[in-house]
Amino acid sequence: MAVDQTNLSYEHPLYATMDKMPGITVATTTVDMLLTWGLKNSLWTFAMATSCCGIEFMHANGNRTDLDQMGSVPRPSPRHADVMVMAGTITVKMAPRILRLWEQMPEPKWCIAMGSCAISGDFYRDMYSVVPGIDTMIPVDVYIPGCPPNGDDLMAGLKRLQEKVEAQRAGRWVEPEGRPETAKAILPALGRVIDRDGTQTERQLRACQSMGLDGNEHRQSDLVAKSAGLLSNLLKLKGR
Amino acid sequence: MDATLREALAARFPAVDLDQDVLLVPAADHYPLAALLKEQGYTLYVTVAASHHPGPEGDAFEVATVLRRPVRGAPSVAWRVVLGADPHLQSLYPLFPGADLQEREQLDLVGVRFDGHPNPVRLMLSEDWVGHPLRKDYAPNMPHAPWR
Amino acid sequence: MDPIFQPFRDDPHYPLDRYEAAADLMLLNMGPQHPSTHGVFRLKLVLDGEIIVKAVPYMGYLHRGVEKMVEGLTFAQMTPIFNKHDYVSPMTNEQAYAVAVETALGIEVPRRARYIRTILAEIQRIASHLLWLSTFTLDMGGVIGGGAAMMMYNFREREDIFDLFEAVTGSRFHYNTHCIGGQRHDLPEGWVQRVRAFLDRQERAFDEYLRLIRNDIFDLRTKGVGVMSADLALGLGITGPNLRASGVDFDMRRDAPFHAYDEVEVRVAVAQGCDAYARYEVRMAEMRESVRILRLLLDQLPEGPICGSKPVKMANAVRVPDGRGYTAIEGPRGEIGTWLIGGGEDKGAKPFRLKIRPPSLHAMAAMSYLLPGHTVSDVVVVLGSLDPIMGEVDR
Ligand code: SF4
Repeated sequence: MAVDQTNLSYEHPLYATMDKMPGITVATTTVDMLLTWGLKNSLWTFAMATSCCGIEFMHANGNRTDLDQMGSVPRPSPRHADVMVMAGTITVKMAPRILRLWEQMPEPKWCIAMGSCAISGDFYRDMYSVVPGIDTMIPVDVYIPGCPPNGDDLMAGLKRLQEKVEAQRAGRWVEPEGRPETAKAILPALGRVIDRDGTQTERQLRACQSMGLDGNEHRQSDLVAKSAGLLSNLLKLKGR
Repeated sequence: MDATLREALAARFPAVDLDQDVLLVPAADHYPLAALLKEQGYTLYVTVAASHHPGPEGDAFEVATVLRRPVRGAPSVAWRVVLGADPHLQSLYPLFPGADLQEREQLDLVGVRFDGHPNPVRLMLSEDWVGHPLRKDYAPNMPHAPWR
Repeated sequence: MDPIFQPFRDDPHYPLDRYEAAADLMLLNMGPQHPSTHGVFRLKLVLDGEIIVKAVPYMGYLHRGVEKMVEGLTFAQMTPIFNKHDYVSPMTNEQAYAVAVETALGIEVPRRARYIRTILAEIQRIASHLLWLSTFTLDMGGVIGGGAAMMMYNFREREDIFDLFEAVTGSRFHYNTHCIGGQRHDLPEGWVQRVRAFLDRQERAFDEYLRLIRNDIFDLRTKGVGVMSADLALGLGITGPNLRASGVDFDMRRDAPFHAYDEVEVRVAVAQGCDAYARYEVRMAEMRESVRILRLLLDQLPEGPICGSKPVKMANAVRVPDGRGYTAIEGPRGEIGTWLIGGGEDKGAKPFRLKIRPPSLHAMAAMSYLLPGHTVSDVVVVLGSLDPIMGEVDR
């Protein structure tokens, strides 16, 4: 559900008035620092756990590497969470649902790709039913390689995300993370979301809308029609 | 294979060579054999596995079924049925309810139809998927727009 | 239970419109992303008020095409793949594969390797049942309701087990420690003592668990819920603890011994209750039994080589000739079988067809038989008591 960006206004009219008040900058900066501190230390996670990495994610939230100490409480519902931890293999049948869950998360939201399956599809990436990496559908903020990455790696990844959140709140430019070295050698079948224009994601979103409750999954014929443009794009990418 | 079962099988299916590890059974005997084995105490439905064997004179399919007796020694009987280019076989669902999902999976992945199955739709892939992945002529890295 | 639901319990394909209040039914979709479905599993429930009339399972959300993939891999490349179907008991899955190829080729495994396999399999069984226990209680109590306490206790022991496995194989899970004809890694120095210490801790922990979960609420929520008769269980192909909880005294470890199980006495836990509580009882008893078997095995552990006289070193060295066969071993969830047709590409270096028989897929088939007549809150109890792993269901 792409939002029409033109009609949105991010500026509240109160801001203009507040800007003229003496000493207000000090107060807002302080409040802002407080908010940043709160946000970065309470990154609640939504475990999009499809397979083995989900078990390791449970362990990371268990008693040895207790992720709760970083303020990251696992939440079962996407609507409670700030960070989606994509842990596990993504299949074609599951992909529309993952997109929908991502859409259901409130802004601001971040995505962690945990494990090589979520990064590039691991050794399943060439199979007919596997999506080669979550970053072909959703922009990823932090990549945590491993099969599965253990709790310490996950902790380091969360730390990186916290730094990123802090920098973003302060308005600093953050270099987007690239796919880790091990996965770089493989040209993804689809380009990463952040590397391409928005059209493809929109198509994917529309595809995800066309799935019914009763029917089994999305209608492929619709999809083929809708994704003609995407396919040509894909061929271009492959030829690159 | 114990003596009583061997006798019963030899009496009922004289054409089947009982010395093989995996019996080769004509398609018409598939269901009667399963019924007989169930009577003989082979009540544990173990598995069904279909496979695609392309050859110079057209496609052939093979459906193997395994049943087991849940007693000491765990004796099992496995048999296979060879089918032609349009593979279909009697479903074992009336005898073994477990055949429901198992046969659906084989229908989905290999494309063998099971006659008399109560709900013959795909199990693993979405219902409108084209092709059967475990056939030898299906490319493993088949694209599926827009996801892969 | 109301007899009106009986036809749906007997036949999940019984037409809905024959139900008397068919017009008032409600459809509830559960999953594929649901915290209690143990992965990506979808269940369509048809409800009359709070009572389930019909339950339809949908799966395939984790279908990774493994059976197609292995047709393009040599036998030596395949072991790491087999870890990943059932990610809660990777060790036994690997063993099922190794046993299948060894049986096809007639390879004799050295005695020490067989012992190591048995030891690893039994430790894995404890780990797997521990995860089952924590998720089962988690589902019933909810994270906020205090169910997470049990998980913390279980994971304490599971971390110990991961450490033990890491010491042997170098990986927390996904071990890749079995090769065709033996083991890749021998037990490190002092490992046996560590296991013994762990077993002592584990034995004390069982009493702790009991103090945590034995209460009236637990009994009320599990007794009489999800009753599965022995006939139904056999017809569905359910094996392992779920079958033994239905009163069938059958365990491949004792009845068709593989590895080194013929050299130890396995006391099979059987319960007659057929319900979720019986399945809980069987799994708890099995964990204690595993501790006992492990002590015996550690006492008898022989010295010697861990790989066959002809270690399989080259990736393409293993060739399975044309032929077919079914082999099975008993994993924590039941019979893990392999239907192998040899003589594939490259003169048999790759399998022609390899079907994995997943015990969980058979267990999932039981859902539509067990649920009609129960309330919505019992869904997670029945599902949890069957202990499915979706990776194995979908492969
Ligand atoms: S990266 Fe490895 S552990 Fe994680 S989901 Fe993929 S196969 Fe499983």
